[in-house]
Amino acid sequence: MSDTHPSLQVSVADIRMRNPVMTASGTFGYGSEYVDFIDLNQIGAVVVKGITSVPWAGNAMPRIFETPSGMLNAIGLQNVGIDGFIDKKLPYLRNFDVPVIVNVCGEQVEEYLDVTEKLDAADGVAAIELNISCPNLHCGGMSFGVDPKLTDELVKGVRKKTTLPLLVKLSPNVTDITVIARAAEDAGADGLSVINTALGMAIDINTRRPQLANITGGLSGPAIKPIAIRMVWQVYNAVSIPIIGMGGIMTGDDAIEFFIAGASAVAVGTANFVNPRASLDVVDGIEEYLERHRMHSIAELVGSLEVP
Amino acid sequence: MPNPTQKFDLPTEVISNELIAENHYLLRCSCPEVAARALPGQFIHVLISQGSGLLLRRPFTVYTIDDDQITMLYQLIGEGTNVLSGLKFGDSIRVLGPLGNTFDFSVTPNPAIIVGGGAGIASLMLLATALRDADVHTLALVGSMNQARLLSVKDLQAIGVDTHIATDDGSVGHHGFVTELLTHLLQTHDLQNPVIYACGPDGMLRTVTKIALDSGIPTQLAMENRMGCALGVCLGCVCKVQLSEGGFEYQRVCTEGPVFNAEDIIW
Ligand SMILES: Cc1cc2nc3c(=O)[nH]c(=O)nc-3n(C[C@H](O)[C@H](O)[C@H](O)COP(=O)(O)OP(=O)(O)OC[C@H]3O[C@@H](n4cnc5c(N)ncnc54)[C@H](O)[C@@H]3O)c2cc1C
Ligand SMILES: Cc1cc2nc3c(=O)[nH]c(=O)nc-3n(C[C@H](O)[C@H](O)[C@H](O)COP(=O)(O)O)c2cc1C
Ligand code: FES
Repeated sequence: MSDTHPSLQVSVADIRMRNPVMTASGTFGYGSEYVDFIDLNQIGAVVVKGITSVPWAGNAMPRIFETPSGMLNAIGLQNVGIDGFIDKKLPYLRNFDVPVIVNVCGEQVEEYLDVTEKLDAADGVAAIELNISCPNLHCGGMSFGVDPKLTDELVKGVRKKTTLPLLVKLSPNVTDITVIARAAEDAGADGLSVINTALGMAIDINTRRPQLANITGGLSGPAIKPIAIRMVWQVYNAVSIPIIGMGGIMTGDDAIEFFIAGASAVAVGTANFVNPRASLDVVDGIEEYLERHRMHSIAELVGSLEVP
Repeated sequence: MPNPTQKFDLPTEVISNELIAENHYLLRCSCPEVAARALPGQFIHVLISQGSGLLLRRPFTVYTIDDDQITMLYQLIGEGTNVLSGLKFGDSIRVLGPLGNTFDFSVTPNPAIIVGGGAGIASLMLLATALRDADVHTLALVGSMNQARLLSVKDLQAIGVDTHIATDDGSVGHHGFVTELLTHLLQTHDLQNPVIYACGPDGMLRTVTKIALDSGIPTQLAMENRMGCALGVCLGCVCKVQLSEGGFEYQRVCTEGPVFNAEDIIW
């Protein structure tokens, strides 16, 4: 090994990963769906679909729609519920040597607490990612993520229930994301995931109906990358806990942009739908970049934006 | 041990891509891994071109398998199929598959009644071939807008399937809907152990479902919904399915489907 060979290992919010690339919640199922294409042991961390205290049926159809360089989704958090997850999904993931991060959602604080308590007691969970930002539910997660007081109350509540590393996933659908970021940090978050999907809408002009049954949905994919980069940079300048950057990452170069903006790790979402190997291709791209620029670690890049 | 349900994501080149009826193309490519495994009703998720400006893949049923090659028969709908139709010999695509479940004919239908509306017949050709191979008496009812858009009739006849045609404008065959042919068939024949297999526009599938429920004939539908991942993770492709224990569940067309029992679908 030459001395320029970079190390991709990172430890973010006390989550030790062999590389800084996670899968974004809701885009990688429970991991098992991708094993024909990917060795899960080579991913930085697997972040599973949002879990609620009881199973949720999800929204009516249609639930997705492709838009220029992106897609809208309004899935409505269809999931197996925490008991189903622990009984049926988690045991499979324990076969792998990869940190499993569980995305947690709910409509009320009590639901988040219930899920958190069960995850804290379960074997094989590396961290919790609190989804306070899901834009799809009429009376759900949305309200927490847009209000610093609600964010504070929720994060403090969950913090008391677990010693696991706690990530809080922020919504871009706010006027000033730094206000929510600080509220989450002050309430005890160990790291921040930035960003969730951006609220959007599309219409079939022939029928004049919305393209989604839910009318509005979350926009993801390359279309939101500039928004995500901007928000990572803003949050980086506002807090001192690490950031996991996401939103439209398709390649290693996209990930590098997030590191420069201030992310310590990244997550690959919609790209998994286009290319099932996307997360590993991103890892390779990062490694190539580091080699090309004779860097030894990701840390040299994090927040390295040169402002003219 | 080789995994029989293994999925692949492979680059391949277009061998041919030709207009076979008004608004419909047949694309052929070499895909040994999929050709060796694809079962009737299964589909592939095609990455058309990374330079086309499209983000997501597009799902198409495997139409036929010839040794290492597969074909897909597709209708021009929008941007994706438009770009696809422009591909020439040697152009590259990526094929993810084989995906989804398969039609069930383990009950030995007599006859098997295939009902295809428009490009829906594309999802039933591999089934017709498998039924022929299993010596199952098979009838095909093929519906289209008009004669110029009529699909698959020759292919079905070539494998010995008794094929009947309906067109919306009466330019060939029965003047009317393909579901009318189905009703007529059931009214005029005393069928032993019929099973219906259908794919087509929602309106047609609803009518087929009604016929199935009224007549009590077991019926399998190949559903087509917008897809994101086609691997079961995005939950974007679901349809509403009645559960035997009561209530309903949204099931994934890409994973639990695309083939569902007609009586289980809640429209
Ligand atoms: C399992 C499965 C098998 C299919 N097999 C065939 C086949 O063999 N031959 C064929 O002609 N068509 C088939 N379809 C439909 C085909 O996928 C769509 O017609 C195609 O995706 C349209 O893409 P577009 O970009 O041209 O249209 P657009 O309308 O621009 O597409 C926009 C979005 O809607 C989706 N979409 C549009 N129409 C349909 C539809 N009818 N069904 C599902 N998704 C749709 C597209 O995938 C895309 O995400 C199948 C669909 C599914 C789900
Ligand atoms: C179909 C779909 C489902 C998603 N489900 C969840 C979820 O359950 N919980 C969550 O926190 N984020 C969810 N997300 C958001 C992603 O994790 C990610 O934050 C967002 O899509 C931006 O990244 P991307 O552009 O790389 O996809 C979902 C996104 C998509 C496209
Ligand atoms: S297309 Fe993603 S779950 Fe079926």
